[in-house]
Amino acid sequence: MVLAVLLAAWAAEPPCAPLRAQGQATQRASAVSSGKRSDKPFLAKFVDAAPAAGLDMRFVYGDAKSKQYIMEANGSGVAWVDYDGDGRLDAFLVNGSTFDAPDAKAVSRLFRNDGKGGFEDVTAAAGVGRSGWGTGVCAGDYDNDGSTDLYVAYWGANALYRNTGKGGFQEQAAQAGVAGGADEWTSGCAFVDFDRDGLLDLLTTQYQRFDPKTTPKAGATSTCQWKGMPVFCGPRGLPYGGATLYHNKGDGSFEDVSETSGIRSVRSYYAFTAAAADFTGDGWPDIYVACDSTPNLFFINNGDGTFTDFATETGLGFNEHGNEQGGMGLGIGDFDNDGQLDIIKTNFAGDYPNVYHNLGDGIFEDIVIRAGLGANPQYVGWGVQLIDLDNDGLQDVFQVNGHVYPELDAQKAIDEAFRQPGVVYRNLGGGRFEDVTDLAGPGLEQKRSSRGAAFGDFDNDGDIDVLVMNMNDQASLFRNDLDSSNHWLRVKLRGTTSNRDAVGSVIRVKAGGATQARAVLSQDSYISHSDLRAHFGLGAAQKVNAILVQWPSGRSESFPAAGVDRELLLVEGEGEALASP
Amino acid sequence: MKRWLLVLSTTAILAAADPAALSDQAMGLAQQKKLAEAEALWKQALQADAAYFPALFNLGLMKVQQSKFSEGEAYLEKAAKAEPKDFNSRYLLGLARSKNGDHDGALRAWRAALTLQPNQLKLMQVMSVEYGAGRYYQEAAAIAERAIELKPADPALYFMAITAYRQAGELSKGREVARRAAERFPESARAQFEYGWHLLKDGEYDSALTRIKKAMELDPSYEEPFFYYGDWLVNQGRYAEAEPLLRRAIEILPGYIPARVRLGRALMGDGRLDDAIAELNRAIEQEPRHPQPHLLLSQIYFRQKDLKKAAAEKRESLRLRRENPQFLEAEQTRPFPE
Repeated sequence: MVLAVLLAAWAAEPPCAPLRAQGQATQRASAVSSGKRSDKPFLAKFVDAAPAAGLDMRFVYGDAKSKQYIMEANGSGVAWVDYDGDGRLDAFLVNGSTFDAPDAKAVSRLFRNDGKGGFEDVTAAAGVGRSGWGTGVCAGDYDNDGSTDLYVAYWGANALYRNTGKGGFQEQAAQAGVAGGADEWTSGCAFVDFDRDGLLDLLTTQYQRFDPKTTPKAGATSTCQWKGMPVFCGPRGLPYGGATLYHNKGDGSFEDVSETSGIRSVRSYYAFTAAAADFTGDGWPDIYVACDSTPNLFFINNGDGTFTDFATETGLGFNEHGNEQGGMGLGIGDFDNDGQLDIIKTNFAGDYPNVYHNLGDGIFEDIVIRAGLGANPQYVGWGVQLIDLDNDGLQDVFQVNGHVYPELDAQKAIDEAFRQPGVVYRNLGGGRFEDVTDLAGPGLEQKRSSRGAAFGDFDNDGDIDVLVMNMNDQASLFRNDLDSSNHWLRVKLRGTTSNRDAVGSVIRVKAGGATQARAVLSQDSYISHSDLRAHFGLGAAQKVNAILVQWPSGRSESFPAAGVDRELLLVEGEGEALASP
Repeated sequence: MKRWLLVLSTTAILAAADPAALSDQAMGLAQQKKLAEAEALWKQALQADAAYFPALFNLGLMKVQQSKFSEGEAYLEKAAKAEPKDFNSRYLLGLARSKNGDHDGALRAWRAALTLQPNQLKLMQVMSVEYGAGRYYQEAAAIAERAIELKPADPALYFMAITAYRQAGELSKGREVARRAAERFPESARAQFEYGWHLLKDGEYDSALTRIKKAMELDPSYEEPFFYYGDWLVNQGRYAEAEPLLRRAIEILPGYIPARVRLGRALMGDGRLDDAIAELNRAIEQEPRHPQPHLLLSQIYFRQKDLKKAAAEKRESLRLRRENPQFLEAEQTRPFPE
């Protein structure tokens, strides 16, 4: 005899869900459509020109199929830099390594632009072919000798490549005092003249302190899983990174001012890309840092050699709903042509990017849903930029993507892939964008696990091309074959009182009834360096009414009207002085 | 005398050796609420036959009813092995395992039970909830869909599937279920709202807002349409329009913290900083552990250039965030370990 069992409508109690059960801050964000797409054609077409151009760089970054450590997952940056001063952008690509049998031939490489659409590997001659776990790159003429220098971040000692001006570089990090600690995993960097003395100082960001001997292996703890799948651990649960600020002493060396400047007043974060620009409009460069799974940092320059982190207060620390995010890359631009620098930030999968609209006075508002950029939360976003791809006078968005777990490819239960296509959003005006990836050319059909991306006009044909780092894969060179009658202007600055590369300047161009702003940045996108020349799409405007330059020295100048479809060189002191901010 | 004793002991041995008789006797005692005696007899039955199903099952059931889930689980596991085709033992085993915190084990037992009674609707509902609680959202959705096939006239099953699909991130499938629910239950505010919510996500704003407004009309005491309409307006930067909707949601459900926080955000966006402060402070009174009101207060005080208060609210927000991550963390879907 058996007692009757009644199947009551008993509701199972939820289990005690482990808090922060994954190593990565993410949401369960679902795609939000930007609404009905406009019928306008999108004229920018991207083609991967890397193979034909001789850009035969295959990146090495950890095990291609299974990653034991987070070190193998984050990849590296790339740079567009005119190292030989010939007016053409050369390509510098930062390489990684492997834990098992590292290949000494896997080095970072420099490719010289031959001016005919091709590239020549000049790594050895230039002296930049270092192996190891390279990460971020930034550029700027720190010694004001007229040649742009490079700083390359590593797990371990970083490299400061002083440009000799004779086609080569000398590694000076240790002598200059900017090599960093041997156990530090430096990720981002940015040259910034924070005290406006005309010399570029240097900020570095550390992702974490990493030691494979003490880091748990994949699947070891609750922070080592993704949707139930064992994966490498972190970043949560692993030792935090930090930030370091070096002051340029003007004699080729730097001093660590992290403590006295207030940069070290904030702790407990995993830092990636750093972007330095005057976000508050007071004439002093501020620093914004995208952080992974921890609040972002926004160091406002107090104008006295110190900074205060106001990320939370200004709306830049979290998303609109106060969530920490897996922040990776940063794009800085002015998507609504109001003359203020806005920020776009890429994040981990299951989350939206941030579109931080600058409201002035250092106040920002994340308008990602309103802007229509909530359409692709399935991607892990990395390199990104607000940039005018079709020269219509409105800055679009180009974003490269790629998951961090190659193990996804070997299982079917999770509907995600390691290799992901890039996305392009067209700026419709009014602060709204639409996904036009399918109209943006065959290059966007390419699925790779991309990380760094650098933006610049490598063939000087008046449109923006994109150089991309791909994990354990070939580099991509998305050449923009724009077929448009829209006009454009490229502005190159030369500082005299300011640092010679004018890093930290803000350029405002008045044309066609709008004022567009661009910042000259030492790092942006994902731990990468883009063209120091500012590109402005002008639409149908036949002339530029005025160009206003806010130099990093604090000086503001106006330059006279100019023609279009050309590059201008503006030299500090040659314009009409304006009241400084 | 010796002969009498022999008869007695023979009877006792026979009784001890007959687990059915012992179990029947135990059942009688159990029905008289003499549970300790019944338990002793069932245990005696198991001494005679360790795999005797009624004794195993009833001991398991008794222990579950006494909230002694670990003991119950041990008996029920043996019962399930003894009678592989018995539904009830597997169902109860799942319950015991769930109560013991072994949620995957519970689901395994229930999956086995469901193979025995594939149309057991209530078990499907229980399993869908348990799958969802374990973040097995795909499985939760699949079983809810099976339940809809069995009883298409029950709107609760549609809502269960919609919720699971939403948690799994499978919005296109969720939208289809929501569409069917909205068509089948045109007078259901929840059905209209759920479909409207999906249309909103897909950027079909006009159709979405029509559905959501209809939900408001059908049931003015249902807070969700008011909240989500208000939330959408905040996302669009239409702060002033969002305010009355969010206030209505709070009026219906005064403890609706997300609505109150969102109202604070709307007022901040509208430049009514003092009103926003008041609303956010009410949210803090209602839920002192929530970090988000403090974060917004930090932003408001920064806008008012009161950096001291802004810093204090920031610190509080960060402290609460560390201590109460459940307010802001999202658990991710995962596949059920087969």
